[in-house]
Amino acid sequence: MMKQGFRYYLKIYGKILVQNIKSKMSYRADFFISLIGIIFVNLSGFITFWIIFKNVPSLLNWSYYEMLFLYGFSLIALTPVQCFFDNNWNLLTYVFSGDFIKYCFKPLNLFFYYISEIFDIKGIGQLVVGITVLSYSWTNLGLDFSLIILVKLIIALVSASLFMISITNFAAASSFYILNSAYFVMMLSNKFKDYAKYPITIFGGALRIIFTFIIPIAFMAYYPSLAFLSNKEATFLTYFTPVYGITFFYLSYKFWMFGAMKYNGTGS
Amino acid sequence: MNRIIEFENITKEFKILNRREGLKGSIKDLVSKNYSVIRAVNDISLSIGKGEIVGYLGPNGAGKSTTIKMMTGVLEPTSGTIAVNGKIPYKNRCQNARNIGVVFGQRTQLWWALPMIESLKILKDIYQVSDEAYKSQLALYESIINVKPLYNKTVREMSLGQRTLCDILAAFLHNPSVIFLDEPTIGLDVSMKSKIRHLIKELNARQKTTVILTTHDIGDVDALCERIIIIDKGSMIYDDTAGNLKKYFGAYRTLKLKIKGEYILSDIIQALELRFLNQTSMVVRTSEEWISILSKEDEAPIMEILMFMQGFILINDIKIEEINTEDIIKKIYEGNI
Repeated sequence: MMKQGFRYYLKIYGKILVQNIKSKMSYRADFFISLIGIIFVNLSGFITFWIIFKNVPSLLNWSYYEMLFLYGFSLIALTPVQCFFDNNWNLLTYVFSGDFIKYCFKPLNLFFYYISEIFDIKGIGQLVVGITVLSYSWTNLGLDFSLIILVKLIIALVSASLFMISITNFAAASSFYILNSAYFVMMLSNKFKDYAKYPITIFGGALRIIFTFIIPIAFMAYYPSLAFLSNKEATFLTYFTPVYGITFFYLSYKFWMFGAMKYNGTGS
Repeated sequence: MNRIIEFENITKEFKILNRREGLKGSIKDLVSKNYSVIRAVNDISLSIGKGEIVGYLGPNGAGKSTTIKMMTGVLEPTSGTIAVNGKIPYKNRCQNARNIGVVFGQRTQLWWALPMIESLKILKDIYQVSDEAYKSQLALYESIINVKPLYNKTVREMSLGQRTLCDILAAFLHNPSVIFLDEPTIGLDVSMKSKIRHLIKELNARQKTTVILTTHDIGDVDALCERIIIIDKGSMIYDDTAGNLKKYFGAYRTLKLKIKGEYILSDIIQALELRFLNQTSMVVRTSEEWISILSKEDEAPIMEILMFMQGFILINDIKIEEINTEDIIKKIYEGNI
């Protein structure tokens, strides 16, 4: 990947992205319906959340607004995977039909070329809901805000987003290895993101270890959030989030590429 | 002549897990070490020069895709040496991909949601084609076919024929030294087929691009290829000019007879078999009211068959046809030669 240079890839990704957005915009009705659709999906998720918290005032010392903070944070952190990595969901079909081979003929990094093909604009709706919820809880918790905090927040969000991206990479790449059960793996991985919205402390010992180190969904909202909530203690893992995020993403990329190289396509 | 592709004793083997039946079997398969080795390509040597159009034929499962995948750098051969443009393709897939173009009949490589011209612009950047080269390439396309109306159409809106056409144009954009066309005319109507053939022929002639064409449509071969390579069961069984194909496999001719009155086909076949016992290559078929007998001239001369047939049936009309490429290839696939 590095041989062609980072700028080369950035330029190409930019072009593809602009074209993708343009073409999405040209289907105006489709664009607005899907945008409104995903806002409603997230709102209904939010309403469920709200109803639960009207009945349970706090969960293991987590107040309503703190839970809301986690919720908003995770929605924003899940936006990149939705927007930029959506083609992972089609990988199983491409591998199954043998169409994946077509990605091998361009002088581009396979992972880059494959992922760049689809941009899912629906994620923007999620981002809007996420930002609204996060700002709402932020003000109600009376948290400080400054430029430095904003930079910290962006770093935290970007690192957190890497985890869901990596989990999706791992799940999708499993189709290179276990074609028949990859669908199950993908469905399962998608379920994990729902758990990310809760403090990891509600889970028991074994699950907590799994969700921290093996399927690290606790990093999608819980650990990074601790750095911003005033009456919570940030732990070592909070500051470890960016490092672990990058490492985990790198591992998922290697796993994906190794699978792709191993895959020879079906006969045609 | 400039050698574009060199294959020397290329063999490719695949390790295939011997799958067991049923659920219990598939659970056992998870830990199974019971592999068998399948030889998909067996000791193939070939050399393809600049500007050639090579028809690469073979029945389904003969090893065509495997060979193409090795040429494009997707697969590494088990043994043998391979060079495309003097370089080893699998050692550097990306580098190799800059010098080749690939078109799969039914799998478009353009961006589905983008207008064709935008796809071309992205490809221009991917392959780092200069502005002048890009402009002159488009001018060349416009001089061969009426492509302008397609520029602003998205691939999704195109017919299969238009899509294939655009795929071919996209593959030629960076002026690669070799183009792989995998069944470019599959599923297309007659006029679109001839358009595509014309396009390939023109681009090959003007840019001296080597074209490797795999197809099951003999029309493509007749229209485009000077040279034919046939592989079957992983081995090369023919590599020569298209013209020599007919000579090489003997003077086959088809005798067509229209018979007066009722007849029973199986009786005729039986009588012919009795008379020309040694002729394993003879094929008898019927279509509407015609009976056609394909035979090799030096084994069973047409005149002899005609005289023999006249002996016991009344013939209304006769036609004699030279064998066409399709029949020859069919016979090769069936192993009759």
